[in-house]
Amino acid sequence: MRNVVRVAAYVPSTVADGVPVGAPDEDEFTFAATAMEHAWFGRRDEPGAVAVHLLGKFPPVAEWGFSPLLGRATRVVHHPADSGELASTLRELEEDAGGPAFMVGAELPERGRVRSGRSPGRGAAAFAYLLEDSETPSPLPLPKSPATRSAVTTTMKFGSFPEELPRSVTLVGDWDPRVAGGPSIDRKLLGKFAETNLDAVSEGAYVPHARYLENLPSRWRFVAESCAACAGTTFPARGVCRQCGRRDKLTALALPYEGGRVVAVTTVGKGGQPTEFDAQVATFGPYDVALVELARGMRVTLQVTDAPPGTVRVGGRVDTRLRRLYPMEGEWRYGRKAVPVAPHRVPTAGT
Amino acid sequence: MGAGHTRFGVLDAGPRALVRSAVDAAFASVDKGADRRDVHEAFLATLGFGGHQIGNSAAALAEEAGLVGVPVTRVENACASGGFAVRSAVGALAAGATPLVLVVGVEKMTDVSNARRRYWLGVSGDTEWERSAGLTFAGVYGLIASRYFAEHGDASEALVEVATKNHENGSLNPNAHFQKRVSRDDVRAAPRVARPLGLFDCCPVSDGAAALLLAPAELAHRYTDTPVFLDGTGAGTDFLAVQERRELTRFRATQHAAHEAFRSAGWHRSEVSFLEVHDCFTIAELLALEDLGFASPGEAPALTLSGATRRDGRLPVNPDGGLKAKGHPIGATGVSQAYEVFLQLRGQAGARQVAHAEHALTHNVGGAGATAAVTLFSVG
Repeated sequence: MRNVVRVAAYVPSTVADGVPVGAPDEDEFTFAATAMEHAWFGRRDEPGAVAVHLLGKFPPVAEWGFSPLLGRATRVVHHPADSGELASTLRELEEDAGGPAFMVGAELPERGRVRSGRSPGRGAAAFAYLLEDSETPSPLPLPKSPATRSAVTTTMKFGSFPEELPRSVTLVGDWDPRVAGGPSIDRKLLGKFAETNLDAVSEGAYVPHARYLENLPSRWRFVAESCAACAGTTFPARGVCRQCGRRDKLTALALPYEGGRVVAVTTVGKGGQPTEFDAQVATFGPYDVALVELARGMRVTLQVTDAPPGTVRVGGRVDTRLRRLYPMEGEWRYGRKAVPVAPHRVPTAGT
Repeated sequence: MGAGHTRFGVLDAGPRALVRSAVDAAFASVDKGADRRDVHEAFLATLGFGGHQIGNSAAALAEEAGLVGVPVTRVENACASGGFAVRSAVGALAAGATPLVLVVGVEKMTDVSNARRRYWLGVSGDTEWERSAGLTFAGVYGLIASRYFAEHGDASEALVEVATKNHENGSLNPNAHFQKRVSRDDVRAAPRVARPLGLFDCCPVSDGAAALLLAPAELAHRYTDTPVFLDGTGAGTDFLAVQERRELTRFRATQHAAHEAFRSAGWHRSEVSFLEVHDCFTIAELLALEDLGFASPGEAPALTLSGATRRDGRLPVNPDGGLKAKGHPIGATGVSQAYEVFLQLRGQAGARQVAHAEHALTHNVGGAGATAAVTLFSVG
């Protein structure tokens, strides 16, 4: 018997007209990624494949992106997004034996569209249920956190939280998205930016698709290499120890992506950006870039998102999230960015 | 033996014409004359900005220099290409390419579209991490300045002094891109490009070329009675991306290059009359003073604000205006620094002549410290 062992929600902090809409660098895939990382918290080093059941529409990256995101083989199954599907999919997953399975929904309503005089809707949100073989009976089938319930409701277009959810699921973890007061954004600008031409020939520093894929473990999961010969750590992983130069004593080591200390930060003003960020700067203005120390003295250069320029300070702490970086060769390239928010992977119950 | 230089700035001349002018000027500067047939090896320093003739550009140099048939090698280490080309010339002389080796540095940067120019300005940084986070070199040096301020306190006024001093020096250099002074308020009020760095903290995008003729010391008097001696070279590398370095505010490549150069020259920092350092951004001049061993960590701002690095100070830095005011045609810069040394040590620098110039150091950096070359010169 497989039961729900964790539920995590994500509600973007960027609002328009008081409603969460998500930042320009977010889409259904990054929404799902953030919710899933919350639900998967503390288990990154466990082996084994997972299944990912997606409810709703997702961009093309969802076909292959969950495997590098989780660092394991994933099987992706698509389902329509409605409340009946949520209930029936949950039931199927419970009865289906096998390894861990995610059920994920993401919603970005009215993304980029201006509907003057109309209700902007309930906003954007995502949730992730994690199911596993479990001995425990299931007295508490539903998310306890109001914010998580709201995220599920928003995503699945329930009028209220569904009574028809199976009663058999067990919740031992329930992650609250803890939305802080994020930046407010102009819907018109968001719409303009949503029309970014992905096929425009980039005058940016060219990263071929194959090299992009090759580096995803370091880029998306901060995978470093630990050297048994000298105890040195190398990030990003490159198959050779930065300290002693040996290649034969290296083991992969994922650095924590849920926080780091800002070592240096700059605000890139208009004209100071690489050309692949021109559309972003033209639409939304300057941005911060921070050098962030993760662990073991390893550092990573991250653009700051979800905050106005000048927010981040040297010595401050940031969380990191998967976001869109820039378009190249007809696709969005994704990577982690820094967000200056309070830590929000705080379990309200269970493990 | 000889050194030539074109005007730096926004020029009509293309890269081939710039090479021709600098090489002609270098030959014309040889006191007793030099025959082009004496050149047995040549090095071309260029990034190939814009991609116009990025492949096999050494052959184009041979054509323009009247040296078709002579082996020519292109040296590319980003902004440090010139310094590394000079180092390569020293190696060639030692290997027997005598009597003369030619070094030419050139870059043509202002004839490409805005988007293409900004693309090429970023190609020498780390592509996969820094660039994808939205940084160009201004941004990387902005990070470095931010860290420097965090470690040593706000050094904004020292950066202002670097900018105004180098513009003052540039105003006396007829080859400089900018030949006008700027006020401290101009510098302070300029728009920020990458906080804390503003527009006047950044070197310009310039066209230009410079050329040197080198001979073994024992043959020097065949060409001139006042040779400038190249006493030592050093070079180094560091991680390309600053995120992989343990420290942001020290360039280990520079430290290594300086150590090696002084060791090979056999004389000491206290003997240096003036410095030509790589001030692509004002913060880089402060780092250079510390990494080269002329100021302790955190002490470069005080040294700069004391006026010591002005042309009439006890340690003049960038009497030609530096990259900041003279301009920074990428491949030409390291060669141009040696040209300035050639003039200064022979007392031919005119209005910007440094008093008692006998020993000089040039410091040329590629990117944000990933490569660096240091060269030491003296007069006999």
